Amino acid sequence: MGSRALLLLKATTAETLLFTSKSTFSKALIRNSTRSFSTRSALLPPDLPRLAETARISLTPHEVEEFAPKIRQVIDWFGQLQAVDLQSIEPSIRADTEGDNLRDDSPETFENREAIIAAIPSYEEPYLKVPKVLNKD
Amino acid sequence: MLSTVQNPRFLLRQCRHFPPKRRRFHSSTPLFLSQPQTLASTDLSSSPPQSQILTIRDNLLNRRTTAVELAQLALTRLRITEPQIHSFISVSETVLREAEEIDGKIARNEELGPLAGVFVGVKDNICTADMPSTGGSRILENYRPPFDATAVKRVKDCGGIVVGKTNLDEFGMGSTTEGSAFQVTANPWDVSRVPGGSSGGSAAAVSARQCVVSLGSDTGGSVRQPASFCGVVGLKPTYGRVSRFGLMAYASSLDVIGCFGSSVADTGILLHAIAGYDRLDSTSSKHEVPNYTSQFMSISSLESKPLKGLRVGLIRETLDDGVDKAVVSSIVGAASHLEELGCTVTEVSLPSFSLGLPAYYILASSESSSNLSRYDGVRYGSQVGADRLNSLYGDSRAKGFGPEVKMRILMGTYALSAGYYDAYYKRAQQVRTLVQKSFKAALNENDILISPAAPSPAYSIGEKKNDPLAMYAGDIMTVNVNLAGLPALVLPCGFVEGGPAGLPVGLQMIGAAFDEEKLLKVGHIFEQMLKGYKFIPPLLADGIAC
Repeated sequence: MGSRALLLLKATTAETLLFTSKSTFSKALIRNSTRSFSTRSALLPPDLPRLAETARISLTPHEVEEFAPKIRQVIDWFGQLQAVDLQSIEPSIRADTEGDNLRDDSPETFENREAIIAAIPSYEEPYLKVPKVLNKD
Repeated sequence: MLSTVQNPRFLLRQCRHFPPKRRRFHSSTPLFLSQPQTLASTDLSSSPPQSQILTIRDNLLNRRTTAVELAQLALTRLRITEPQIHSFISVSETVLREAEEIDGKIARNEELGPLAGVFVGVKDNICTADMPSTGGSRILENYRPPFDATAVKRVKDCGGIVVGKTNLDEFGMGSTTEGSAFQVTANPWDVSRVPGGSSGGSAAAVSARQCVVSLGSDTGGSVRQPASFCGVVGLKPTYGRVSRFGLMAYASSLDVIGCFGSSVADTGILLHAIAGYDRLDSTSSKHEVPNYTSQFMSISSLESKPLKGLRVGLIRETLDDGVDKAVVSSIVGAASHLEELGCTVTEVSLPSFSLGLPAYYILASSESSSNLSRYDGVRYGSQVGADRLNSLYGDSRAKGFGPEVKMRILMGTYALSAGYYDAYYKRAQQVRTLVQKSFKAALNENDILISPAAPSPAYSIGEKKNDPLAMYAGDIMTVNVNLAGLPALVLPCGFVEGGPAGLPVGLQMIGAAFDEEKLLKVGHIFEQMLKGYKFIPPLLADGIAC
C-alpha cells in the first residue's frame, strides 16, 4: 500500500497546518486552531444544536456529541483563510465560463404532472398534506 | 511479483530533480516500462485500448452480431461480477427490449445513433424517469423522477441503453463511495479497496466492463479520482459544457456531469453525445460544440513525434511531500512519455494551490446546505410523520440523511450564518478568483497542465471513514480545477504496488476552458502510444473481458 497522505497546507503566514494521519493529526490541528480562533477572529465556534434547528435536522444527543468535534475540526481548518491577504480581490460567484441565459418569465405546463403527484408522500387532491403550523413551538 | 513499473532509479531520486521554470524537463534515463500488468496476459506487445463504441457499431452494421446478443453477454457479465463489485443500485428491466428495438432499426436499414447498442451506466444522482433515482440517499429511496436528465435524454436519443443506476456517495458528498446509504462498491483491482468517489459505481462499472461507458458527476474530483483509482478514463468537462438539468444539485457553482470510458475515444464519443446548450439549464453554455470524435486517429497514421510543439506544464505543488512517492514516479514517467511524443515539459507553479482545498469545502458545504433544503419530506422522498411541520422537516431529514451529509449541511449553515458570511463564504470566493487567475496565467504559457489525479492509489475500505479531514485531503489534486471551471481528463498512466495485480494510477491533464478537443487529442495519442500496459483488472482475467 502506498504511503499515507501527508499534506502540508501553507497559509501565507509562517503558521502551517500539518496534516498527518490519525493520531498526530488532531494534536497538530488543535494546537494551531486555538491560535486561529483567539488571535485572528471574534467568530464563535459552532453551536451545533442551534445550527441543527436552523437547518431543520433533528439531531440526537448522540449525534451532537459525535459530530461536534469533527465539525469543529473542519471549521478550524476553514479558519486558515482568515490569514490570507485578500484585499482588493473580487469574489467570483462561479467560473466565468457559462453564458447569461435567462429565459422569459412565461409559465409552461409540464407534461408529466401525474408522476409529480405520484411522488408526493402525503396527498389529498388537490392538496399536499402537512401537519399544522404553529406560531410558537 | 509486481513492483513499481518505472525504472528503479526514479524511485531513488527525490522529485527535486525537476528543473526550474522555463528549462526543459529531462529524464536522462529512458523510461523502462515493464511487462503488461495483468494476470492472464503474457503478451509483451499488448495493444492499446480500442474504442468499444466503434467496435460495437461496426459489428452491428456488418451484421456480425445483434444488439440483443451483445446485451445478453453484457447482462451475463454483470451478473457474474456484481456480487463482488456492487456497482449498481438498480438495474434496468428494459435492456433487452431496447436492444430488440435497435435490431429492428438495423433490419429496416434505418440510421443508427452514435451510441446504438452501447450499455451506459448512469450515476444515481442523475434523474432517470423509468428507474428509481436515489442520489445514494434514504431520503429518496424509492423516488421516481418525472423526467430524464438532459444528459440521459441525449444518451437515449443517440441509441444508448441505460443499463442501470450506479452507486455513489450520498448526494455526491464523499471520496470513497462508502457514503452511500445502500451499499459499498468495491474496486475491481482489489475488492478490499474503494473505487474512489463520489462516482465510484460508475468508475467501477466501466473498469469491470459491466458497461461500456458511464455518466458521473464531478464537483471536486468525483469523476477524476475514481477514474484514477479504477484505471479507467474520466473526463470532467468545462463548467457549462454539459447541461446540469436533472443532476441533483450538490454545489451549483461547481457541479458538472462527466464521462467514464475504457478508452479516451469512447469517453470523447460520450461527451459529444451529451455536450451542448440546454435551455433548461441557465448556466449552460452556448459555446459551439466541436466534433469531439474527429481526432481519434489510429496510431499507424501518426508521425514519430505526434505532439511536437505542445507545451506541457507539470504543476510543481502536486509533487510535494504528502504525495505517494510511487505516484510521483508514475507521473514523472508519464511526463517522460509525453516528451518522447514531442512535448516540451516544464515545471509550473500555481501560487494559490493549497488554499483551494479549504476554499472548495467552504463553498461546497455552503451551497449544499442550500441545495439540500429541498429534501423536506413534503413534495417527494421519504416522510416521517409528525404533529408539527418543523418536526416533520427535522425528523424526515434526520432519518433520511446520512452522517456526512448532515455534517456538511451543518458546516455550510454555519459558514453562511449572519456575521460569518464575510469570514468564510466571501473569502472562499476571493480565493476562487485567485485560483482562476493562476490557472489562466499558467495556461497562457502552456497548452495543458498535468498532475496526479490523487495523492495516492485506492485506499482500503474503512480506512478514511472516521477522519473527515484526512478524506478531504485526498481531493487536493482535483478541487482547484472545479473552482476554475476548467476541463480535465484523467487517464491511466502506470501502476503502483498493491492488490493482486498492482493498483492503477491516473494522470490528470487540465486544459483551458472549452478546450476538451485538445485534451482528448493529447490523451488519445498518449494512451495509444503507451507501451507495455494493459489496464484490465484481474477480476476479468478469466476471459470474460471485452
